[in-house]
Amino acid sequence: MKKEHYRFSLVLSRVLIYILLAILLVITLVPVWLLIVNATRSTLQIQQGISFLPSTFILSNYKILLSKGLDLPRGFLNSFTIAAATTLLTVYFSMLTAYGIVAYEFKGKKFLYNFILVLVMIPMQLSIIGFYHYMVKIGLDDNYLSLILPSIASAASVFFCKQYLEGVMIQDLIDAGRIDGASELGIFHRIMFPLAAPGAFTLGIFTFVAAWNNFFNAFILITSRDKYTMPMLVQTLRGDVYRHEYGAIYLGLAASVVPIIIIYFLFSRYIVNGISMGAVKE
Amino acid sequence: MNRPHLKKEYYGYLFVAPFIIGFLLFGLYPVVHTLGLSFTDTTLMKAESNFIGLKNFQRLFADKTFSTAITNTWELWLMNFIPQIGISMLLALWFTNTRLKIKGGGIWRMLFYMPNLMMPASIAALFFSLFSFYGPVNQFLVRADLQAQAIDYIRSPAMMRGLVVFIQWWMWYGQTTILLMAAITSVSPALYEAALIDGAGTGQIFRYVTLPLIKPVMVFILVTSLVGGMQMFDIPMLLTDGRGSPANSILTNNIMMYMRFRSSQGHIGAASSIGVMVFIMTTVVALLIFYLLREKHDGKEIKA
Repeated sequence: MKKEHYRFSLVLSRVLIYILLAILLVITLVPVWLLIVNATRSTLQIQQGISFLPSTFILSNYKILLSKGLDLPRGFLNSFTIAAATTLLTVYFSMLTAYGIVAYEFKGKKFLYNFILVLVMIPMQLSIIGFYHYMVKIGLDDNYLSLILPSIASAASVFFCKQYLEGVMIQDLIDAGRIDGASELGIFHRIMFPLAAPGAFTLGIFTFVAAWNNFFNAFILITSRDKYTMPMLVQTLRGDVYRHEYGAIYLGLAASVVPIIIIYFLFSRYIVNGISMGAVKE
Repeated sequence: MNRPHLKKEYYGYLFVAPFIIGFLLFGLYPVVHTLGLSFTDTTLMKAESNFIGLKNFQRLFADKTFSTAITNTWELWLMNFIPQIGISMLLALWFTNTRLKIKGGGIWRMLFYMPNLMMPASIAALFFSLFSFYGPVNQFLVRADLQAQAIDYIRSPAMMRGLVVFIQWWMWYGQTTILLMAAITSVSPALYEAALIDGAGTGQIFRYVTLPLIKPVMVFILVTSLVGGMQMFDIPMLLTDGRGSPANSILTNNIMMYMRFRSSQGHIGAASSIGVMVFIMTTVVALLIFYLLREKHDGKEIKA
Protein backbone atom coordinates (compact mmCIF):
# COMPACT_ATOMS: atom_id res chain seq x y z
CA MET A 1 0.00 0.00 0.00
CA LYS A 2 2.76 2.38 0.92
CA LYS A 3 4.74 1.42 -2.17
CA GLU A 4 1.72 2.06 -4.42
CA HIS A 5 1.29 5.48 -2.88
CA TYR A 6 4.98 6.23 -3.42
CA ARG A 7 4.84 5.23 -7.10
CA PHE A 8 1.74 7.31 -7.68
CA SER A 9 3.20 10.44 -6.13
CA LEU A 10 6.39 9.95 -8.16
CA VAL A 11 4.44 9.78 -11.43
CA LEU A 12 2.35 12.77 -10.41
CA SER A 13 5.36 14.90 -9.57
CA ARG A 14 6.99 13.84 -12.84
CA VAL A 15 3.94 14.99 -14.82
CA LEU A 16 3.80 18.28 -12.93
CA ILE A 17 7.49 18.89 -13.52
CA TYR A 18 7.20 18.23 -17.25
CA ILE A 19 4.28 20.67 -17.46
CA LEU A 20 6.29 23.34 -15.65
CA LEU A 21 9.32 22.71 -17.86
CA ALA A 22 7.13 23.04 -20.95
CA ILE A 23 5.76 26.37 -19.68
CA LEU A 24 9.30 27.62 -19.03
CA LEU A 25 10.33 26.51 -22.50
CA VAL A 26 7.48 28.47 -24.08
CA ILE A 27 8.39 31.59 -22.06
CA THR A 28 12.03 31.20 -23.07
CA LEU A 29 11.53 30.58 -26.77
CA VAL A 30 8.41 32.52 -27.80
CA PRO A 31 9.98 36.01 -27.73
CA VAL A 32 12.91 34.80 -29.84
CA TRP A 33 10.68 32.95 -32.27
CA LEU A 34 8.39 35.98 -32.66
CA LEU A 35 11.46 38.09 -33.40
CA ILE A 36 12.66 35.77 -36.16
CA VAL A 37 9.19 35.29 -37.67
CA ASN A 38 8.36 38.99 -37.61
CA ALA A 39 11.61 39.74 -39.44
CA THR A 40 10.11 37.88 -42.42
CA ARG A 41 6.66 39.52 -42.24
CA SER A 42 5.50 42.82 -43.67
CA THR A 43 4.57 45.67 -41.37
CA LEU A 44 0.94 45.23 -42.44
CA GLN A 45 0.94 41.54 -41.50
CA ILE A 46 2.54 42.32 -38.16
CA GLN A 47 -0.15 44.90 -37.43
CA GLN A 48 -2.90 42.45 -38.37
CA GLY A 49 -1.95 39.91 -35.74
CA ILE A 50 0.45 37.40 -34.30
CA SER A 51 1.72 34.53 -36.38
CA PHE A 52 4.15 31.76 -35.57
CA LEU A 53 4.78 30.97 -39.22
CA PRO A 54 7.38 32.84 -41.29
CA SER A 55 6.29 34.92 -44.27
CA THR A 56 8.12 36.09 -47.40
CA PHE A 57 8.91 39.75 -46.81
CA ILE A 58 12.46 39.41 -45.60
CA LEU A 59 13.91 41.08 -48.72
CA SER A 60 11.48 43.97 -48.80
CA ASN A 61 12.16 44.52 -45.08
CA TYR A 62 15.86 44.61 -45.88
CA LYS A 63 15.26 47.14 -48.66
CA ILE A 64 13.38 49.38 -46.22
CA LEU A 65 16.34 49.24 -43.81
CA LEU A 66 18.72 50.15 -46.65
CA SER A 67 16.50 53.00 -47.83
CA LYS A 68 16.59 54.46 -44.31
CA GLY A 69 20.39 54.39 -44.38
CA LEU A 70 20.95 51.46 -42.04
CA ASP A 71 24.03 49.70 -43.36
CA LEU A 72 23.58 46.23 -41.88
CA PRO A 73 26.52 44.52 -43.67
CA ARG A 74 28.80 47.30 -42.53
CA GLY A 75 27.74 46.98 -38.90
CA PHE A 76 28.06 43.22 -39.20
CA LEU A 77 31.62 43.53 -40.51
CA ASN A 78 32.54 46.10 -37.85
CA SER A 79 31.26 43.92 -35.03
CA PHE A 80 32.90 40.85 -36.50
CA THR A 81 36.27 42.61 -36.77
CA ILE A 82 36.16 43.75 -33.15
CA ALA A 83 34.89 40.43 -31.81
CA ALA A 84 37.45 38.38 -33.77
CA ALA A 85 40.40 40.56 -32.71
CA THR A 86 39.22 40.62 -29.09
CA THR A 87 38.87 36.84 -29.12
CA LEU A 88 42.38 36.25 -30.49
CA LEU A 89 44.00 38.61 -27.98
CA THR A 90 42.00 37.33 -25.00
CA VAL A 91 42.61 33.65 -25.69
CA TYR A 92 46.31 34.01 -26.49
CA PHE A 93 47.29 36.31 -23.64
CA SER A 94 45.07 34.62 -21.04
CA MET A 95 46.59 31.24 -21.88
CA LEU A 96 50.08 32.78 -21.80
CA THR A 97 49.49 34.33 -18.37
CA ALA A 98 47.83 31.21 -16.97
CA TYR A 99 50.68 29.05 -18.26
CA GLY A 100 53.19 31.35 -16.58
CA ILE A 101 51.33 30.90 -13.29
CA VAL A 102 50.82 27.14 -13.61
CA ALA A 103 54.21 26.11 -15.02
CA TYR A 104 56.71 28.32 -13.19
CA GLU A 105 57.58 29.18 -9.64
CA PHE A 106 58.35 32.83 -9.02
CA LYS A 107 58.17 35.37 -6.22
CA GLY A 108 54.80 37.09 -6.05
CA LYS A 109 53.03 34.31 -7.98
CA LYS A 110 50.58 33.61 -5.19
CA PHE A 111 49.88 37.31 -4.79
CA LEU A 112 49.34 37.72 -8.53
CA TYR A 113 46.91 34.81 -8.61
CA ASN A 114 44.90 36.07 -5.63
CA PHE A 115 44.91 39.53 -7.14
CA ILE A 116 43.45 38.16 -10.39
CA LEU A 117 40.75 36.41 -8.34
CA VAL A 118 39.81 39.70 -6.66
CA LEU A 119 39.83 41.48 -10.04
CA VAL A 120 37.10 39.11 -11.24
CA MET A 121 34.87 40.55 -8.52
CA ILE A 122 35.59 44.21 -9.23
CA PRO A 123 33.39 46.22 -11.61
CA MET A 124 36.23 47.55 -13.77
CA GLN A 125 33.75 48.79 -16.38
CA LEU A 126 32.77 51.61 -14.03
CA SER A 127 36.04 53.35 -14.90
CA ILE A 128 34.79 53.83 -18.48
CA ILE A 129 34.64 57.63 -18.16
CA GLY A 130 38.31 57.88 -17.15
CA PHE A 131 39.10 55.33 -19.84
CA TYR A 132 37.33 57.46 -22.44
CA HIS A 133 39.13 60.65 -21.38
CA TYR A 134 42.45 58.81 -21.47
CA MET A 135 41.73 57.43 -24.96
CA VAL A 136 40.89 60.96 -26.15
CA LYS A 137 44.25 62.17 -24.83
CA ILE A 138 46.22 59.49 -26.66
CA GLY A 139 44.06 59.78 -29.79
CA LEU A 140 42.45 56.35 -29.60
CA ASP A 141 38.84 57.45 -29.10
CA ASP A 142 36.55 56.50 -31.97
CA ASN A 143 39.14 53.80 -32.74
CA TYR A 144 38.55 50.06 -32.46
CA LEU A 145 41.90 49.66 -30.70
CA SER A 146 40.33 51.18 -27.58
CA LEU A 147 37.80 48.32 -27.57
CA ILE A 148 40.26 45.58 -28.50
CA LEU A 149 43.50 46.28 -26.59
CA PRO A 150 42.10 45.95 -23.03
CA SER A 151 41.45 42.26 -23.74
CA ILE A 152 45.17 41.59 -23.21
CA ALA A 153 44.40 41.70 -19.50
CA SER A 154 41.15 39.83 -18.85
CA ALA A 155 41.14 38.54 -15.28
CA ALA A 156 38.15 36.20 -15.64
CA SER A 157 39.71 34.59 -18.72
CA VAL A 158 43.06 34.04 -16.99
CA PHE A 159 41.16 32.39 -14.14
CA PHE A 160 39.36 30.11 -16.59
CA CYS A 161 42.61 29.20 -18.39
CA LYS A 162 44.39 28.45 -15.12
CA GLN A 163 41.64 26.05 -14.06
CA TYR A 164 41.78 24.39 -17.47
CA LEU A 165 45.58 24.17 -17.75
CA GLU A 166 45.88 22.57 -14.32
CA GLY A 167 43.71 19.74 -15.62
CA VAL A 168 45.54 19.09 -18.89
CA MET A 169 49.17 19.95 -18.19
CA ILE A 170 51.63 17.07 -18.53
CA GLN A 171 54.97 17.95 -16.93
CA ASP A 172 56.77 15.08 -18.72
CA LEU A 173 55.89 16.54 -22.12
CA ILE A 174 57.29 19.91 -21.09
CA ASP A 175 60.48 18.31 -19.80
CA ALA A 176 60.78 16.27 -23.01
CA GLY A 177 60.44 19.49 -24.99
CA ARG A 178 63.23 21.05 -22.96
CA ILE A 179 65.51 18.07 -23.56
CA ASP A 180 64.79 18.39 -27.27
CA GLY A 181 66.04 21.94 -27.00
CA ALA A 182 62.74 23.79 -27.46
CA SER A 183 62.63 27.31 -26.09
CA GLU A 184 60.22 28.04 -23.20
CA LEU A 185 57.95 30.03 -25.50
CA GLY A 186 58.24 27.26 -28.10
CA ILE A 187 57.05 24.75 -25.51
CA PHE A 188 54.04 26.95 -24.81
CA HIS A 189 53.21 27.34 -28.51
CA ARG A 190 53.89 23.82 -29.73
CA ILE A 191 53.14 21.61 -26.72
CA MET A 192 50.83 23.40 -24.27
CA PHE A 193 48.60 25.31 -26.66
CA PRO A 194 47.56 22.21 -28.66
CA LEU A 195 46.90 20.37 -25.38
CA ALA A 196 44.71 23.24 -24.17
CA ALA A 197 42.96 23.71 -27.52
CA PRO A 198 39.47 22.59 -26.38
CA GLY A 199 39.63 25.01 -23.44
CA ALA A 200 40.94 27.77 -25.68
CA PHE A 201 38.07 27.14 -28.09
CA THR A 202 35.47 27.28 -25.32
CA LEU A 203 36.91 30.52 -23.99
CA GLY A 204 37.03 31.83 -27.54
CA ILE A 205 33.30 31.29 -28.09
CA PHE A 206 32.39 33.06 -24.85
CA THR A 207 34.73 35.96 -25.60
CA PHE A 208 33.41 36.31 -29.14
CA VAL A 209 29.79 36.38 -28.02
CA ALA A 210 30.51 38.88 -25.22
CA ALA A 211 32.42 41.17 -27.60
CA TRP A 212 29.71 40.87 -30.26
CA ASN A 213 27.03 41.82 -27.74
CA ASN A 214 29.00 44.59 -26.00
CA PHE A 215 27.03 47.81 -26.24
CA PHE A 216 28.09 50.05 -23.36
CA ASN A 217 31.80 50.45 -24.18
CA ALA A 218 31.26 50.92 -27.91
CA PHE A 219 28.41 53.36 -27.21
CA ILE A 220 30.81 55.56 -25.21
CA LEU A 221 33.99 55.20 -27.24
CA ILE A 222 32.79 55.11 -30.87
CA THR A 223 31.22 58.17 -32.46
CA SER A 224 31.55 57.91 -36.27
CA ARG A 225 28.47 56.56 -37.93
CA ASP A 226 30.45 54.28 -40.27
CA LYS A 227 32.17 52.64 -37.30
CA TYR A 228 28.92 51.70 -35.54
CA THR A 229 28.74 48.14 -34.26
CA MET A 230 25.63 45.92 -34.40
CA PRO A 231 24.26 46.88 -30.96
CA MET A 232 24.77 50.56 -31.84
CA LEU A 233 22.79 50.09 -35.05
CA VAL A 234 20.10 48.29 -33.06
CA GLN A 235 19.91 51.30 -30.79
CA THR A 236 19.27 53.61 -33.77
CA LEU A 237 16.31 51.41 -34.77
CA ARG A 238 14.51 52.97 -31.81
CA GLY A 239 14.62 56.35 -33.54
CA ASP A 240 11.85 58.19 -35.34
CA VAL A 241 13.14 57.27 -38.80
CA TYR A 242 11.83 53.75 -38.42
CA ARG A 243 8.55 54.62 -36.78
CA HIS A 244 5.95 52.03 -37.79
CA GLU A 245 8.35 50.09 -40.03
CA TYR A 246 7.94 47.09 -37.76
CA GLY A 247 9.06 44.44 -40.25
CA ALA A 248 12.30 46.28 -40.90
CA ILE A 249 12.94 46.85 -37.19
CA TYR A 250 12.48 43.16 -36.41
CA LEU A 251 14.82 42.28 -39.27
CA GLY A 252 17.52 44.56 -37.88
CA LEU A 253 17.14 42.98 -34.44
CA ALA A 254 17.12 39.45 -35.85
CA ALA A 255 20.35 40.13 -37.78
CA SER A 256 22.14 40.80 -34.50
CA VAL A 257 20.73 37.74 -32.74
CA VAL A 258 20.55 34.98 -35.39
CA PRO A 259 24.34 34.57 -35.92
CA ILE A 260 24.74 33.94 -32.21
CA ILE A 261 21.89 31.40 -32.21
CA ILE A 262 23.63 29.57 -35.07
CA ILE A 263 26.96 29.57 -33.21
CA TYR A 264 25.11 28.27 -30.17
CA PHE A 265 23.49 25.35 -31.96
CA LEU A 266 26.80 24.43 -33.58
CA PHE A 267 28.87 24.55 -30.40
CA SER A 268 26.36 24.19 -27.57
CA ARG A 269 28.28 21.27 -26.08
CA TYR A 270 31.38 23.43 -25.61
CA ILE A 271 29.34 26.34 -24.35
CA VAL A 272 27.17 24.50 -21.82
CA ASN A 273 30.16 22.62 -20.42
CA GLY A 274 32.26 25.77 -20.38
CA ILE A 275 29.82 27.75 -18.19
CA SER A 276 30.67 25.83 -15.04
CA MET A 277 34.36 25.35 -15.86
CA GLY A 278 35.54 28.47 -14.13
CA ALA A 279 33.22 28.17 -11.15
CA VAL A 280 33.02 24.51 -10.19
CA LYS A 281 36.14 22.56 -9.33
CA GLU A 282 35.59 18.95 -10.27
CA MET B 1 56.66 17.13 -6.67
CA ASN B 2 60.22 18.33 -6.91
CA ARG B 3 59.93 20.06 -10.25
CA PRO B 4 63.19 21.03 -11.89
CA HIS B 5 62.00 24.44 -13.09
CA LEU B 6 62.83 26.56 -10.05
CA LYS B 7 65.72 28.12 -11.94
CA LYS B 8 63.29 29.27 -14.57
CA GLU B 9 61.75 31.90 -12.31
CA TYR B 10 62.71 34.52 -14.86
CA TYR B 11 60.43 32.91 -17.48
CA GLY B 12 57.48 33.03 -15.12
CA TYR B 13 57.75 36.83 -15.06
CA LEU B 14 58.15 36.93 -18.82
CA PHE B 15 54.94 34.97 -19.38
CA VAL B 16 52.82 37.09 -17.04
CA ALA B 17 54.39 40.40 -18.15
CA PRO B 18 51.91 41.17 -21.00
CA PHE B 19 48.98 40.72 -18.60
CA ILE B 20 50.55 42.98 -16.00
CA ILE B 21 51.42 45.68 -18.55
CA GLY B 22 47.93 45.40 -20.09
CA PHE B 23 46.35 45.63 -16.65
CA LEU B 24 48.38 48.70 -15.65
CA LEU B 25 47.58 50.50 -18.93
CA PHE B 26 43.94 49.51 -19.50
CA GLY B 27 42.75 48.41 -16.07
CA LEU B 28 44.44 50.27 -13.24
CA TYR B 29 45.23 53.57 -14.93
CA PRO B 30 41.63 54.22 -16.07
CA VAL B 31 40.43 53.58 -12.50
CA VAL B 32 42.98 56.03 -11.07
CA HIS B 33 42.19 58.52 -13.83
CA THR B 34 38.45 58.25 -13.17
CA LEU B 35 39.09 58.88 -9.50
CA GLY B 36 41.21 61.92 -10.42
CA LEU B 37 38.53 63.29 -12.76
CA SER B 38 35.88 62.93 -10.05
CA PHE B 39 37.62 65.72 -8.08
CA THR B 40 37.53 68.13 -11.03
CA ASP B 41 34.96 70.10 -13.02
CA THR B 42 36.24 68.71 -16.33
CA THR B 43 33.84 68.92 -19.25
CA LEU B 44 34.22 67.87 -22.86
CA MET B 45 33.46 71.41 -24.05
CA LYS B 46 36.26 73.45 -22.50
CA ALA B 47 40.00 72.88 -22.38
CA GLU B 48 40.77 73.91 -18.79
CA SER B 49 39.56 72.07 -15.73
CA ASN B 50 39.86 72.88 -12.04
CA PHE B 51 40.31 70.87 -8.91
CA ILE B 52 37.09 71.27 -6.95
CA GLY B 53 37.66 68.80 -4.12
CA LEU B 54 34.59 66.88 -3.06
CA LYS B 55 32.07 69.20 -4.75
CA ASN B 56 30.98 66.56 -7.28
CA PHE B 57 30.28 64.13 -4.47
CA GLN B 58 28.45 66.73 -2.38
CA ARG B 59 26.24 67.55 -5.37
CA LEU B 60 25.69 63.87 -6.00
CA PHE B 61 24.52 63.20 -2.44
CA ALA B 62 22.23 66.23 -2.57
CA ASP B 63 20.77 65.01 -5.86
CA LYS B 64 17.60 62.99 -5.41
CA THR B 65 18.08 61.40 -8.84
CA PHE B 66 21.20 59.68 -7.56
CA SER B 67 19.46 58.04 -4.63
CA THR B 68 16.67 57.04 -7.02
CA ALA B 69 19.23 55.45 -9.35
CA ILE B 70 20.95 53.56 -6.52
CA THR B 71 17.65 52.33 -5.05
CA ASN B 72 16.34 51.34 -8.50
CA THR B 73 19.48 49.39 -9.34
CA TRP B 74 19.37 47.46 -6.07
CA GLU B 75 15.64 46.78 -6.36
CA LEU B 76 15.80 45.72 -9.99
CA TRP B 77 18.70 43.39 -9.21
CA LEU B 78 17.17 41.86 -6.07
CA MET B 79 13.74 41.36 -7.62
CA ASN B 80 15.37 39.38 -10.42
CA PHE B 81 18.00 37.57 -8.36
CA ILE B 82 15.76 36.06 -5.68
CA PRO B 83 13.29 34.33 -8.05
CA GLN B 84 16.22 33.46 -10.31
CA ILE B 85 18.14 31.54 -7.65
CA GLY B 86 14.90 29.95 -6.39
CA ILE B 87 13.66 28.70 -9.76
CA SER B 88 17.15 27.66 -10.86
CA MET B 89 17.69 25.71 -7.64
CA LEU B 90 14.39 23.90 -8.14
CA LEU B 91 15.28 23.06 -11.76
CA ALA B 92 18.79 21.94 -10.82
CA LEU B 93 17.44 19.67 -8.08
CA TRP B 94 14.87 18.15 -10.44
CA PHE B 95 17.38 17.55 -13.23
CA THR B 96 19.90 15.91 -10.88
CA ASN B 97 17.35 13.86 -8.90
CA THR B 98 18.02 10.18 -9.60
CA ARG B 99 14.53 9.07 -8.57
CA LEU B 100 12.65 11.53 -10.78
CA LYS B 101 14.71 10.63 -13.89
CA ILE B 102 13.71 13.73 -15.90
CA LYS B 103 14.38 12.99 -19.57
CA GLY B 104 16.28 15.27 -21.95
CA GLY B 105 18.08 17.17 -19.18
CA GLY B 106 20.77 18.27 -21.62
CA ILE B 107 18.29 19.67 -24.14
CA TRP B 108 16.18 21.47 -21.54
CA ARG B 109 19.13 23.28 -20.03
CA MET B 110 20.60 24.04 -23.45
CA LEU B 111 17.37 25.76 -24.51
CA PHE B 112 16.87 27.49 -21.16
CA TYR B 113 20.35 28.98 -21.47
CA MET B 114 19.89 30.36 -24.98
CA PRO B 115 18.58 33.87 -24.09
CA ASN B 116 21.79 34.50 -22.15
CA LEU B 117 23.86 34.67 -25.34
CA MET B 118 21.62 37.07 -27.19
CA MET B 119 22.46 40.72 -27.56
CA PRO B 120 20.89 42.59 -24.60
CA ALA B 121 20.44 45.69 -26.78
CA SER B 122 18.31 43.67 -29.23
CA ILE B 123 16.42 41.93 -26.46
CA ALA B 124 15.44 45.28 -24.95
CA ALA B 125 14.36 46.62 -28.34
CA LEU B 126 12.46 43.39 -28.96
CA PHE B 127 10.49 43.63 -25.71
CA PHE B 128 9.82 47.31 -26.42
CA SER B 129 8.24 46.27 -29.72
CA LEU B 130 6.33 43.36 -28.20
CA PHE B 131 4.83 45.56 -25.48
CA SER B 132 4.27 48.70 -27.54
CA PHE B 133 0.73 50.08 -27.89
CA TYR B 134 0.09 48.40 -31.25
CA GLY B 135 2.40 45.47 -30.47
CA PRO B 136 1.72 41.73 -30.33
CA VAL B 137 1.06 41.58 -26.58
CA ASN B 138 -1.78 44.09 -26.78
CA GLN B 139 -3.10 42.44 -29.94
CA PHE B 140 -3.17 39.06 -28.29
CA LEU B 141 -4.71 40.17 -25.00
CA VAL B 142 -7.41 42.29 -26.62
CA ARG B 143 -8.37 39.59 -29.12
CA ALA B 144 -8.46 36.93 -26.43
CA ASP B 145 -10.76 39.25 -24.41
CA LEU B 146 -8.30 39.27 -21.53
CA GLN B 147 -8.07 43.04 -21.85
CA ALA B 148 -10.89 45.42 -22.80
CA GLN B 149 -8.57 47.66 -24.81
CA ALA B 150 -4.89 48.20 -25.60
CA ILE B 151 -2.82 49.37 -22.64
CA ASP B 152 0.12 51.74 -22.95
CA TYR B 153 2.55 49.49 -21.10
CA ILE B 154 5.58 51.58 -22.07
CA ARG B 155 4.25 54.51 -20.02
CA SER B 156 3.52 52.45 -16.92
CA PRO B 157 6.32 52.59 -14.32
CA ALA B 158 5.20 49.36 -12.65
CA MET B 159 5.00 47.51 -15.96
CA MET B 160 8.42 48.71 -17.12
CA ARG B 161 10.06 47.77 -13.83
CA GLY B 162 8.42 44.38 -13.99
CA LEU B 163 9.61 43.96 -17.56
CA VAL B 164 13.24 44.84 -16.73
CA VAL B 165 13.13 42.33 -13.87
CA PHE B 166 11.53 39.71 -16.11
CA ILE B 167 14.09 40.19 -18.92
CA GLN B 168 17.01 39.92 -16.49
CA TRP B 169 15.51 36.78 -15.01
CA TRP B 170 14.78 35.38 -18.49
CA MET B 171 18.38 35.95 -19.60
CA TRP B 172 20.08 34.51 -16.52
CA TYR B 173 18.04 31.68 -14.98
CA GLY B 174 19.44 29.15 -17.49
CA GLN B 175 23.04 29.95 -16.66
CA THR B 176 22.34 29.77 -12.91
CA THR B 177 20.63 26.40 -13.41
CA ILE B 178 23.66 25.02 -15.27
CA LEU B 179 26.06 26.25 -12.57
CA LEU B 180 23.95 24.78 -9.77
CA MET B 181 23.62 21.46 -11.64
CA ALA B 182 27.38 21.25 -12.05
CA ALA B 183 27.84 21.99 -8.36
CA ILE B 184 25.25 19.42 -7.26
CA THR B 185 26.61 16.66 -9.49
CA SER B 186 30.16 17.30 -8.25
CA VAL B 187 29.04 16.31 -4.72
CA SER B 188 30.08 12.72 -4.10
CA PRO B 189 27.15 10.23 -4.36
CA ALA B 190 28.64 8.41 -1.36
CA LEU B 191 27.62 11.36 0.83
CA TYR B 192 23.99 11.11 -0.32
CA GLU B 193 23.99 7.36 0.24
CA ALA B 194 25.37 7.79 3.72
CA ALA B 195 22.68 10.36 4.50
CA LEU B 196 19.96 8.07 3.12
CA ILE B 197 21.22 5.16 5.20
CA ASP B 198 21.12 7.42 8.24
CA GLY B 199 17.45 7.97 7.45
CA ALA B 200 17.59 11.58 6.29
CA GLY B 201 14.62 12.87 4.26
CA THR B 202 14.85 14.83 1.00
CA GLY B 203 14.58 18.15 2.80
CA GLN B 204 17.22 17.23 5.37
CA ILE B 205 19.62 16.00 2.68
CA PHE B 206 19.22 19.29 0.83
CA ARG B 207 19.67 21.37 3.97
CA TYR B 208 22.58 19.49 5.55
CA VAL B 209 24.41 17.83 2.63
CA THR B 210 23.77 19.61 -0.69
CA LEU B 211 23.51 23.21 0.46
CA PRO B 212 26.76 23.37 2.50
CA LEU B 213 28.71 21.63 -0.26
CA ILE B 214 27.53 23.86 -3.09
CA LYS B 215 28.05 27.04 -1.06
CA PRO B 216 31.19 28.13 -2.97
CA VAL B 217 29.25 28.04 -6.25
CA MET B 218 26.32 29.91 -4.69
CA VAL B 219 28.74 32.61 -3.52
CA PHE B 220 30.19 32.77 -7.04
CA ILE B 221 26.70 33.16 -8.55
CA LEU B 222 25.71 35.78 -5.96
CA VAL B 223 28.86 37.89 -6.38
CA THR B 224 29.01 37.79 -10.20
CA SER B 225 25.28 38.54 -10.43
CA LEU B 226 25.65 41.46 -8.01
CA VAL B 227 28.63 42.95 -9.85
CA GLY B 228 26.77 42.62 -13.15
CA GLY B 229 23.51 43.89 -11.68
CA MET B 230 25.06 47.07 -10.27
CA GLN B 231 26.21 47.91 -13.82
CA MET B 232 22.84 47.18 -15.45
CA PHE B 233 22.59 49.34 -18.54
CA ASP B 234 21.58 47.91 -21.93
CA ILE B 235 18.16 46.56 -20.97
CA PRO B 236 16.71 49.53 -19.03
CA MET B 237 18.46 51.97 -21.41
CA LEU B 238 16.91 50.57 -24.58
CA LEU B 239 13.58 49.43 -23.19
CA THR B 240 12.27 52.99 -23.05
CA ASP B 241 13.73 56.34 -24.09
CA GLY B 242 17.26 55.92 -22.71
CA ARG B 243 16.58 58.15 -19.70
CA GLY B 244 15.07 55.57 -17.38
CA SER B 245 11.51 56.68 -18.17
CA PRO B 246 8.69 56.51 -17.26
CA ALA B 247 9.18 58.75 -14.21
CA ASN B 248 12.76 57.55 -13.58
CA SER B 249 11.32 54.15 -12.72
CA ILE B 250 14.08 52.19 -14.48
CA LEU B 251 16.87 54.75 -14.14
CA THR B 252 19.97 52.78 -13.07
CA ASN B 253 23.45 53.85 -11.91
CA ASN B 254 25.00 53.46 -15.33
CA ILE B 255 22.17 55.21 -17.15
CA MET B 256 22.63 58.20 -14.85
CA MET B 257 26.40 58.12 -15.42
CA TYR B 258 25.82 57.97 -19.15
CA MET B 259 23.36 60.89 -19.03
CA ARG B 260 25.92 63.08 -17.23
CA PHE B 261 28.55 62.05 -19.78
CA ARG B 262 26.31 62.85 -22.76
CA SER B 263 24.80 66.01 -21.28
CA SER B 264 25.14 69.08 -23.49
CA GLN B 265 28.33 70.12 -21.69
CA GLY B 266 29.69 66.59 -21.29
CA HIS B 267 30.26 66.77 -17.53
CA ILE B 268 32.79 64.00 -17.29
CA GLY B 269 33.95 65.13 -13.85
CA ALA B 270 30.45 64.66 -12.49
CA ALA B 271 29.99 61.43 -14.47
CA SER B 272 33.23 60.09 -13.00
CA SER B 273 32.02 60.72 -9.47
CA ILE B 274 29.02 58.44 -10.15
CA GLY B 275 31.38 55.76 -11.48
CA VAL B 276 33.59 56.11 -8.40
CA MET B 277 30.68 55.86 -5.94
CA VAL B 278 29.16 52.79 -7.61
CA PHE B 279 32.61 51.23 -7.94
CA ILE B 280 33.27 51.62 -4.22
CA MET B 281 29.79 50.44 -3.24
CA THR B 282 29.91 47.35 -5.48
CA THR B 283 33.46 46.37 -4.60
CA VAL B 284 32.87 46.71 -0.86
CA VAL B 285 29.64 44.68 -0.95
CA ALA B 286 31.11 42.01 -3.28
CA LEU B 287 34.25 41.53 -1.20
CA LEU B 288 32.23 41.60 2.02
CA ILE B 289 29.92 38.82 0.76
CA PHE B 290 32.94 36.84 -0.38
CA TYR B 291 34.64 37.32 2.99
CA LEU B 292 31.58 36.56 5.13
CA LEU B 293 30.53 33.47 3.18
CA ARG B 294 34.01 32.06 2.60
CA GLU B 295 34.84 28.50 3.62
CA LYS B 296 35.57 28.68 7.33
CA HIS B 297 36.31 25.06 8.27
CA ASP B 298 40.05 25.29 7.58
CA GLY B 299 41.74 21.94 7.39
CA LYS B 300 38.53 19.95 7.73
CA GLU B 301 37.46 20.66 4.16
CA ILE B 302 35.42 17.84 2.61
CA LYS B 303 36.69 17.03 -0.85
CA ALA B 304 34.28 15.52 -3.33
